[in-house]
Amino acid sequence: MPTHPWLVFAGMTAVTFATRYTGIVAAGRTLPEWFRRWLKYVPVAVLAALIAPDALAPQGRLTFDLSTVALGVGLIVAWRTRNVFWTIATGMAAFWLLRLLTGGTT
Amino acid sequence: MRSDNITEFRRGLLAMTPLMPGIAVFGFLYGVLARQAGLTPFQAWGMSMTVFAGSSQFVAAGLWDHTAALTIIITTFVVNLRHTLLGLSIGPYLTGLSRRWKVALAFWLTDESYAIAITEYRQGRGSPGFLLGASWGVYLIWPISGLAGTAIPDPARWGLNLIFPLAFMGLLMAFMEDLTSVVIALAAGIIALAAAQLLPGSWYVIVAGILASTLGLALERGRGAA
Repeated sequence: MPTHPWLVFAGMTAVTFATRYTGIVAAGRTLPEWFRRWLKYVPVAVLAALIAPDALAPQGRLTFDLSTVALGVGLIVAWRTRNVFWTIATGMAAFWLLRLLTGGTT
Repeated sequence: MRSDNITEFRRGLLAMTPLMPGIAVFGFLYGVLARQAGLTPFQAWGMSMTVFAGSSQFVAAGLWDHTAALTIIITTFVVNLRHTLLGLSIGPYLTGLSRRWKVALAFWLTDESYAIAITEYRQGRGSPGFLLGASWGVYLIWPISGLAGTAIPDPARWGLNLIFPLAFMGLLMAFMEDLTSVVIALAAGIIALAAAQLLPGSWYVIVAGILASTLGLALERGRGAA
């Protein structure tokens, strides 16, 4: 256990800031054309990478349960509406409804 | 800040509200874990106020009671490396800004505010004020929910853990312009699933992000040659 927690926080803050600032500043330099086009694909790749393990393997292994079905409903709504609020609202509503119908266990 | 910055800040803050319950749940979970690891409530809150990087704080709390300070700091760096990728992606929209703006936007940059702001920029409605407002939407919730850490015993029971994947799905669909983006998303999802099993921390985001974006470039080249 670290003896000076706040010093550790200071170190953690410094390295975290470095990862964030480096990217923002480096992007300001003149970038090659292929790199610009590569960057265009990053959001799609990063968002999908953030979603997949959380949605399909939340405990580290592939799982199929009520949550998966609710997320499937959310995916369809996301595709049709492209709206964050409605995606969350219908996905959560689907989860609660399914849990109610199956007797309250997850 | 100028008045249009304040308007944009408010708009960014509002855009974050649908994600706030999800942030609060993760904040709670972090608080519970930090407390178990031997951090005081004040320290748990302090880490959220200063480091402000969710997944690395989870990892740090997990390591806390049996790990040296330097190891915790290095691990934090590795877990947060994906932010460099986020910065590279949103950076081209921020080139004309002063250093003060860049420092502020970098300090408060998160996965969530990046996702919301890059969508706005792509649709021609983005601004630094919006990004900062979205980031502050996270900053208002994250430390205080960590402090309240022990209050909710089992957030998954309420399905609140679904908020992040749902929100990211809504944002992802805004980028689905053509077949290439669908292929990239599917590839990134599959690579991330596999990499999450094999690699520690959030390396899976970096690996899947880089590989799938490169695949996009390759698909583009292949089509150009055909």
